Amino acid sequence: MKKLKLTDIAKGGDSQLIDIDVDELVPLPPPYDKAEEFPGFKQLTEDQRERLVCNLDGVVSYAALPKPKNKAEEKKYVKQFISGLKKLLSKENNWTFLQPLLLSLDYCAQCQTCCDACPIYLGSGKNDLYRPTYRPEIFRRLVNKYIKPGGKLRAKLTGADIDLNWTTITRLYELSYRCNLCRRCTQACPMGVDNGLITRELRKLFSQELGWAPKELHEKGTMLQLDVGSATGLRPNVAIDNLKFLDEEFTESTGINVSTPWDKKGADILLIHSAGDIISFPESPIAFTILCNAAGLSWTLSSEIPGYDGINYGVFYDDVQLARVATRHAQIAKKLGVKKIVMGECGHQNKALMTVADRMLTRELNIPRENVMTFLENLVFSGKVKFDPTKNDFPVTLHDPCNLVRNMGVVEPQRRILRYLCPEFREMTPHGIENYCCGGGGGLSVMSDVNFTDWKVNVAGRMKFKQVLEAFADHPGPEIEKYLCAPCLNCKLQFRDVFEYYGAKEKSNLIFGGMGELIVNAMAIMKKPFLSWEEE
Amino acid sequence: MSGIVWHILAFGVIGIFLAVTVYRTVAIARLPVHLRWELAPIPHEKGKGKYGGSYLEEYEWWTKTRQRSRIAPLVYMVVEIFLLRGIWKRNRPLWPLTFAFHAGIYLVTAMLLFSLVSSILIITEAPPYVINVFQEIASVLAVAGYLMGGLGAIALLFKRALDSNLRPFNTTTKYFNLVLLGAVFISGAYAWFNLGDFAAEMSLFIRGLITLDTGLTIAFSLSLHIIISLLFLLYLPWTDMIHFVAKYFTYHEVRWNDAPQDEKMKRELRGLLAQPVSWSAAHVGADGKKNWVDLTKKKTKDEEA
Ligand code: SF4
Ligand code: SF4
Repeated sequence: MKKLKLTDIAKGGDSQLIDIDVDELVPLPPPYDKAEEFPGFKQLTEDQRERLVCNLDGVVSYAALPKPKNKAEEKKYVKQFISGLKKLLSKENNWTFLQPLLLSLDYCAQCQTCCDACPIYLGSGKNDLYRPTYRPEIFRRLVNKYIKPGGKLRAKLTGADIDLNWTTITRLYELSYRCNLCRRCTQACPMGVDNGLITRELRKLFSQELGWAPKELHEKGTMLQLDVGSATGLRPNVAIDNLKFLDEEFTESTGINVSTPWDKKGADILLIHSAGDIISFPESPIAFTILCNAAGLSWTLSSEIPGYDGINYGVFYDDVQLARVATRHAQIAKKLGVKKIVMGECGHQNKALMTVADRMLTRELNIPRENVMTFLENLVFSGKVKFDPTKNDFPVTLHDPCNLVRNMGVVEPQRRILRYLCPEFREMTPHGIENYCCGGGGGLSVMSDVNFTDWKVNVAGRMKFKQVLEAFADHPGPEIEKYLCAPCLNCKLQFRDVFEYYGAKEKSNLIFGGMGELIVNAMAIMKKPFLSWEEE
Repeated sequence: MSGIVWHILAFGVIGIFLAVTVYRTVAIARLPVHLRWELAPIPHEKGKGKYGGSYLEEYEWWTKTRQRSRIAPLVYMVVEIFLLRGIWKRNRPLWPLTFAFHAGIYLVTAMLLFSLVSSILIITEAPPYVINVFQEIASVLAVAGYLMGGLGAIALLFKRALDSNLRPFNTTTKYFNLVLLGAVFISGAYAWFNLGDFAAEMSLFIRGLITLDTGLTIAFSLSLHIIISLLFLLYLPWTDMIHFVAKYFTYHEVRWNDAPQDEKMKRELRGLLAQPVSWSAAHVGADGKKNWVDLTKKKTKDEEA
């Protein structure tokens, strides 16, 4: 494998920095151990290489990255980057993360302890480019050289000299989307240096100063969500219709009457699903309707823009967008006069509204907010709904969404539910706050431009897929139905891509889904299973 | 060297060290409150810290009194600082090297404290056997500290230079820091072996400083050690080696800062949100005048219509 120097980032112009060789990736257990059986990476065509910026690893996550036409334009971007660096280090423009950023920039001991904690670095077979320290150290050296007084001379004298040019900038942009922001590296760092945070700051610089961000997160993400209500493009009336259809279908097939309440003023609880769940995993929102109704809760959904889509991609790349989305969510709850907001099964959504945006929601917007696992745990153990755990008598393992677990400390509620309702529940190794990211964290799960999905399923999601398979090592084949409980929309989107790519359903009879579905499946009142291993 | 020069050097350097360290500490402490960015495990979470849980696990957490442990974070930090728990857990091959190095620093610091006490005992004319006890302990601390620290520094230098995992990230500054601190330890070890009674000489030197004794004279080996140590102390607060200060903030103010808003924070937040924003990307809509609150009021298409 090619050894990389930090200075390589600035060299070679448009040429690719590294090649990814699937044979060098960490091996998967059988029957997934033969790389040649899978499609591999889509190689970029000559035309794509001509048109697109593809100077990193042969993977392109953002086809719209502009290519400068001449030297003057290149210089303009370099100037903008430096201006962005300055703003990142200013109190006015970046009070939101200034202290953690400065601490992380100034105190890395370069011990490399964090590297072996990173699922991407490990999954890649320890490719230097994906070291948690590679990107931050380049960023740090650029700050030291271009922003600090005497930086240029010091950089030369200390051998920490990296050129800031068009190549550096575009590679750094792409590289900032080769990280899940899972902060497993941060947890491993004895100094408390946060490489995940540095990566997010880098993304912020690109977004907030240059206007560069993956279209799935920005243009078709937060912008669309703020404009029409949802990053999926789902409009309020269609969201209502979809849920109505799900209500009717369930009522018809089970004889159990359910209906989803919308815009009920004065309800106790505002539940905010992700619209992605309504569209891609409708069994999740309907499971919540069934459970809330069965428990007799006073609750409502909102059809106000963007109150039916709880995602907040700002948490991945842009503080202003983060504030906008979070504020809208809180305003909607205030208008409805609810006592609390509960977010659906989505890790970053829970983290964005409960913790990250907490200090942006001042005064009357600071409405109590509860995480979804605690909410479900209370519901399951309230005694209001009867369960029969034998209905869940199949092997189940639990994926810990990084945002909910490592970043919020919500660890046990979901386990108490599974230990009660799933007799064959088994943990992965490692799990809880030391879990591996699904590979879709940091917004990657929704990104699919050019050949980015190939990278997600082969590299980013590799360690997770490996540990899921290892958790079911006692039944590797398709004879026994197995369930991966992944209580997060973004993780499910990533698992969908990974399972499809490797054929996990056919080879291992392995499906994934949320927590709500497992709970409903165990309800005593259910005459037939809610979960199905059959293809829809 | 005449006594007065020692006074000027020692007090000058200590003064600069303290001033710069305090300045940098205050500068970090005075940075604005940031958005929450906590990271499990948070040891102050009573009953939950062990497995990484937080108060957010509680049903309607805002109706409950937070159960915080004062002891657990202290124990966590003591184990981290003195036994380097993080490196032990995650980077075992590095641990013996860096442990020896850090133990050297702690032992030498302890030796200085014992020498200080013994010099005060000399000034106050305490019974000689009491002074002796302190000097004996200081002597053991010194030799252990210098040897461990010296070996640690040399081992780390080799590790930095030879380990392909570390090499790409090295700078001359990183090497220089190790060489300088290594020189402190090695010159200390040299003085210890060279002098008949290192601890007694050290106590006398400190006594001379405290009593402003201009007749202060010390042996060459100890002078050399003290000069190198003072140079190091002068250099230290300007570097990332003051991570012993930064670490307090990365843990307490970032990883473990899970505090919901209180009155003081609310006041600070109102001020921060009222600051003008000047990010240039079009979607931000900043003009250098609009503040954070103005910018969050972006209208939806429906409202614009
Ligand atoms: S981030 Fe932390 S663990 Fe990683 S190299 Fe820096 S100090 Fe070491
Ligand atoms: S945040 Fe996660 S994915 Fe990113 S560098 Fe750290 S460990 Fe790797």
